[in-house]
Amino acid sequence: MASTLLDDLGRRAAPWLLPVLALAGWQAAVSAGLVSNRFMPAPFDVARAGLAAASTGELWTNLGVSALRAIAGFAIGGGIGFALGLANGLSRLSERLTDTSVQMVRNVPHLSLIPLVILWFGIGEEAKLFLVALGVFFPIYANTLHGIRSVDPGLVEMGRVYGMSRAELFRRVVLPGALPSIFVGLRYGLGIMWLTLIVAETISASSGLGYMAMQAREFMLVDVVVLAILIYALLGKLADALTRRLERATLAWNPAYRTA
Amino acid sequence: MLLDAIRPDADGADRAREAVPARPDSETARSQAAPRRGPARGVAVTVRDLRKAFDGHTVIDGLDLHIPAGQFTAVVGRSGCGKSTLLRLILGLETPTGGRIQLEEPAGVARRNVPPKRIMFQEPRLLPWARVVDNVAVGLTGLGSRRERRERALAALAEVGLADKAGQWPATLSGGQRQRVALARALVSGPGLLALDEPLGALDALTRIGMQGLIERIWQQQGFTALLVTHDVAEAVALADRILVVDEGRIALDVRVDVPRPRRRGDPDLAALEGRILENLLGESPAA
Repeated sequence: MASTLLDDLGRRAAPWLLPVLALAGWQAAVSAGLVSNRFMPAPFDVARAGLAAASTGELWTNLGVSALRAIAGFAIGGGIGFALGLANGLSRLSERLTDTSVQMVRNVPHLSLIPLVILWFGIGEEAKLFLVALGVFFPIYANTLHGIRSVDPGLVEMGRVYGMSRAELFRRVVLPGALPSIFVGLRYGLGIMWLTLIVAETISASSGLGYMAMQAREFMLVDVVVLAILIYALLGKLADALTRRLERATLAWNPAYRTA
Repeated sequence: MLLDAIRPDADGADRAREAVPARPDSETARSQAAPRRGPARGVAVTVRDLRKAFDGHTVIDGLDLHIPAGQFTAVVGRSGCGKSTLLRLILGLETPTGGRIQLEEPAGVARRNVPPKRIMFQEPRLLPWARVVDNVAVGLTGLGSRRERRERALAALAEVGLADKAGQWPATLSGGQRQRVALARALVSGPGLLALDEPLGALDALTRIGMQGLIERIWQQQGFTALLVTHDVAEAVALADRILVVDEGRIALDVRVDVPRPRRRGDPDLAALEGRILENLLGESPAA
């Protein structure tokens, strides 16, 4: 009983062992004077900076602004990517019409559009939304399309033989079959979402986490810069954990996703 | 006695052709079939001058065939002889290039109660994301309420001896168990015609013998028309009322198996029959 509890605790704590060790080593290195405080503030200084920023409300405002941009951009780009992926996976005509164009646009690094986007939208919200949506679109599109293409044709034929309508076939066979691949796209999309947003906010913004980090750099506030970076890491982990939970809930049938 | 049942090649093919227009023939054929307790709801199949070509390559070449309702027919032949294509054509999974396929429902059945036709594939083709019982319920798509479907699916699972696996994912089952789930799915709607496309080919020998017994028992109880495509002549001989050898898109041999059921494995009559069919397949003996 007690040992299983300990086992459970150990299993939960194990993934955090490395981050905690890294933090401890980092603190020790700075305290011992091995690393200059000017280049790399100690974790305690970063935490202090975090508390200060949190108490003025500046941190929460910036975090909220960034989160909203991320979610909105992801919803737009991911939604369009998902819809087009479905359409092109299910209809040859739709694919013939759009896939070549999509592949051409895909090969343009979307961050190279930043100058153009600033010219179009200035530093307003549209610029960030546009870039995030564009970045998120491709992985979701490509993986949704691939997922639908790779659904076992034998299962589709089985569904037809058993009299499933087109809608039923989609809901009970095609979509569940494509889901693992769609989740891969979701994870890639989430990564690209943060990357794009931070770059966009660093270059052209008047609020948000990236803006906070850029401003801190101008004032040589290294601790705030490091704070921003650590927050990115935590947000990335959070998004990943949410996806994982969603995967576990919807892909429980798949031995590869089963817990324990 | 048994050797009388084996008709020479050309004669057998002629007989199959003759059987097509002669409707009353199906009555005599039915009375000759093994005695059956279940309701007679089998579907009779009539095929006339059937042709199928893929990209100009002829697979079925003017094939005639009549299968009386409730008969257990096995189709054997070398790989590529067109036996699977014949089955898929009869099931409507392929469109014929020419000719006609007619399924004749049992008389006196209301149109909406017409028993469906079902197929069991070589692979189980279960939905990996649906529990075992829901996979069986796929066989009732569009029939009855959700609760009815579930109840009937559970009953069909019990029939194949998997009642305790109802709530499991297909991935947790063995190959033989998965094929039994597929059998339950095919049977749950009470089909009039069950096509079996080498359904036991991927199973180990012992599991296969168990499955053969299960299929035979359920067929005897339910009285559907069974059409088994197999490359295993011993399996065909053990299960079927009648064996068709298909060669180059035509029926090369049409043999009645008049060995009473239950058939014993290693029965000398069955062994002799198996030997004859194998010889014909291998082309070692002059067939006619």
